[in-house]
Amino acid sequence: MSKDKVSTVLTPKADLLQGTLDLLILKALAAGPRHGWAVSKRIRQMSSEVLTVNQGSLYPALYRLEDRGWITSAEGVSPEGRRIRLYRLTPTGRRQLSTEIEAWRAFSGAVDRVVATE
Amino acid sequence: MDDELRHHIECEVDEHVRAGMSPEEARRVAVAEFGGIEQVKEDARDAWGTRPVEEFIADVGYGARVLRRNPGFTAATVLTFALGSGAAAAIFSVVYGVLLRPLPYVDPDRLVVLWERNASRAAERNVVSVANFQAWRERSQAFDGMAALVPRPVTLTDAGGPERVAGTEVSPGYFRLLGVTPALGRDFDPDDENRADSRVVILSDGLWRRRFGADPAVVGRTLSVGGTPHSVLGVMPSGFEPPQFGWLGAQELWFPFQATPENRAWGRFLLVVARRRSSVSLERARAEMTILADRLAREVKADEGWTVTVVPLAAQITGDVRTALLVLQGAVGLLLIIAVINVGTLSLSQTLRRAPELATRRSLGATDGRLFRQLFAQSGLVGMLGAAIGGLVAWPTTRLIVSLAPAGVPRLDAVRVDTPVLLATLSMALLATLLFGTVAARGRPGADAALVMRSTGGRTTALAGGGALVVAEIAVALAIGVMAALAARTFVSLRAVDLGFHADGVMAARVALGAELGDSPARASFEALLERVRVLPEVQAAGLINTRPFGGLGVATDVTDPRPARPGPAPSLVADVRVADAAFFRVLRIPTERGTVFGPHEPTSGTPRVVISQSLHDAFWRGEDPVGRPLRLELYGGITADVIGVVPDLRLMDVRTPPRPTAYLADARFPDRERDLVVRFRGSAESIVPSLRTVLSTLEPGATLYRITMLPGLVAASLARDRLTALLLSGFAGLAVLLSAAGVFGVISTETARRRKEIGIRLAVGAAPSRVVRMLLGRALSRAAAGVAGGMAIALLFAHLMKSLLFGVAPHDPASFLTIAIVVVAVVVIATLVPAVQAIRSSPLDVLREG
Repeated sequence: MSKDKVSTVLTPKADLLQGTLDLLILKALAAGPRHGWAVSKRIRQMSSEVLTVNQGSLYPALYRLEDRGWITSAEGVSPEGRRIRLYRLTPTGRRQLSTEIEAWRAFSGAVDRVVATE
Repeated sequence: MDDELRHHIECEVDEHVRAGMSPEEARRVAVAEFGGIEQVKEDARDAWGTRPVEEFIADVGYGARVLRRNPGFTAATVLTFALGSGAAAAIFSVVYGVLLRPLPYVDPDRLVVLWERNASRAAERNVVSVANFQAWRERSQAFDGMAALVPRPVTLTDAGGPERVAGTEVSPGYFRLLGVTPALGRDFDPDDENRADSRVVILSDGLWRRRFGADPAVVGRTLSVGGTPHSVLGVMPSGFEPPQFGWLGAQELWFPFQATPENRAWGRFLLVVARRRSSVSLERARAEMTILADRLAREVKADEGWTVTVVPLAAQITGDVRTALLVLQGAVGLLLIIAVINVGTLSLSQTLRRAPELATRRSLGATDGRLFRQLFAQSGLVGMLGAAIGGLVAWPTTRLIVSLAPAGVPRLDAVRVDTPVLLATLSMALLATLLFGTVAARGRPGADAALVMRSTGGRTTALAGGGALVVAEIAVALAIGVMAALAARTFVSLRAVDLGFHADGVMAARVALGAELGDSPARASFEALLERVRVLPEVQAAGLINTRPFGGLGVATDVTDPRPARPGPAPSLVADVRVADAAFFRVLRIPTERGTVFGPHEPTSGTPRVVISQSLHDAFWRGEDPVGRPLRLELYGGITADVIGVVPDLRLMDVRTPPRPTAYLADARFPDRERDLVVRFRGSAESIVPSLRTVLSTLEPGATLYRITMLPGLVAASLARDRLTALLLSGFAGLAVLLSAAGVFGVISTETARRRKEIGIRLAVGAAPSRVVRMLLGRALSRAAAGVAGGMAIALLFAHLMKSLLFGVAPHDPASFLTIAIVVVAVVVIATLVPAVQAIRSSPLDVLREG
């Protein structure tokens, strides 16, 4: 990978990355509960500003994961007094995260091997 | 959610500000990056799950708009459905009210009626002797209680004039057995059964209001019954419906029944009601009674050959109405099926006509599920609208059926369109429609988007599922049609039955002479009455009989040939016995086949003279002259009479019941204080009835004249059930044929419309129009054939269910089946020809250009 900054915006339309978005969100929450913006910020930081999660993808994804029982949310209040949601990983979510990580490793390893083949 | 998203933007703004942007710039960038808040919200909601609700509301609105824009289609489907469900709700109301509604007694399921039974005499449900009633009551273990009843019509003779009242003698435990108690005063107590000559009565609410002005202090007052004072013990509540069966009609007055040495010798005349113990099943009660009856038959000479039948009270009361109602319900169920199928076919063709629109919607991104839900909402709307109108139709229809029903149908006055009945029928119907709308909408409407939008309709020619629906509709319509034809033929055969007498121009009225002591003997009173009646200007002839034709069960007894031609046991049978005068045969224009009937001056003593019916003659003396032979009758303590003549068989019970052997005794020899007066007259009943009343009241102030009817009216009334069945079934059949014709027309015209291009090409390249029509007809006819075959099978099934209703026509009557099949096929042909001819008439060029 070159030092030139290549930024990838994750959107739900990119099918390949859909599962990846779930993985990224779960991973971002693995360190502790966060609100929506913090999740996207964390992903950006963890990927060294390479991966940016579009808000239009983030919130539907959060609701979807919540629907599946992988994360839960609690009501909170922001410093400006807005009602916000704090998301945290559930035990199921944690198990899902390790499954997804394994799947990702298998997948990216395979892609690496393909790419490395002369 | 709003807050959450705004918080997100604010965090973003803070970040940009920290990076050195001005707050305004930061906000602008953050909002721009964020994109449309509403879009995000909508996507989020998708993931959340409120979307289905919003879509559902939109679908219903959309369905309503589609329906409003196609008033023809909407009217056709809604009306179809309304008629079907309305008729179903009405019939179901009657069925519920008459058959299903529990009897208004405590634990009505445990109430049974006990009958004696004698298979060799074809007496399936025979009334019970006092001795057997007592033996059953003492020796059976299966019942909590048992009560005997016997009608006792009486004349009330208080101030207010003589009035004939339907009284009933009942065992003192009777009301407790039913679980009802008097609203005023008290019930009979067990002592009333044994107390000699206990003169107490219980009144019905109606009689109490009528005779006593609803006096709350009526208990203890006296009521003069046939001149004898009786003391009023109690008044039954207004809602009390005494069970009516056998010869028990409406009841207004109850006396305690007492077993006496005399009535123990009267033979069989009691009706018996019992309450099964809760621990004893109906089967066990039956088994126990059979064992008991067998033991009695061995012990008692008079019970030889007799056993017992146990019938649940509800089944006994509804009796033969049951089959008719169940058949009607079956027919209306079939009608409902047609209605549902029609909603299905109509929405199917509607869906096909809208194929281009649906294809467009699909191309624009509508999913299968969404289109399916829209069609579902639409057929649900049609169903609900139809069901609502159907509910409105149900009320007048129910009233109409009740008003057409024969007078004898039990519990009919209580029939109404109950909410539960209505809800059950309508929700059933609605469910069926939704189901059907769903089935009709299957097969991915508008799926072949490219094909449909290019309008090259040549590929799918047959309406998917349409064929099956057409076949089903034809089958069901045929089945209802056959049922109607069978019922109609039954009615026609019944009308054509020779009753053996001429009823037209004859009226009958019952005369009960006053019971006061000192009145002249019955014979003289009736002679004087007839003399005065015969000179009335309108009267042509007037006679007497103990029970008029069609006047219900009369007396019947064992008759024997005491001087048999062949050695061996004397031939014996059960014969109806009628006590009549000479004029009776003249009034009803009954010819004499052999010998003579009674003369104007019958002897009042000496050897009784008897006139016998043809079948009695045939049974004992076929081919021989019976005149002068003796005939033994077990009546009046056993009499031997001389046969003086033979008359034809008469249908005395009703039109259906074949005549039974009958013996006629002379009224002069066996007089009674109560007789049916039969009068052949000219002019109107309005003028003759007052004349009769005047004659009677001058001659016998204490006498009453009641049950005044025209004989033709009685005959018609005995056919009322058959008429109603035929009428309703014909109505249903007409409706069924009409509805299925509409359905078939809908399917075929849609199909033809879809094939117009193909037809146009065929015509353009030289196909003869007749060939094209034949092609279209061919498919219709093969469907009709399948429908007719299926319909025949359904019809046979139903015809056998209604076997007991049929008369003079077999359940597999070929004429009915064939006629209806022809009618149905003809309807299918017409429903096919109309759109087919339309299609070939249109110019091929126009059709091709349309594409």
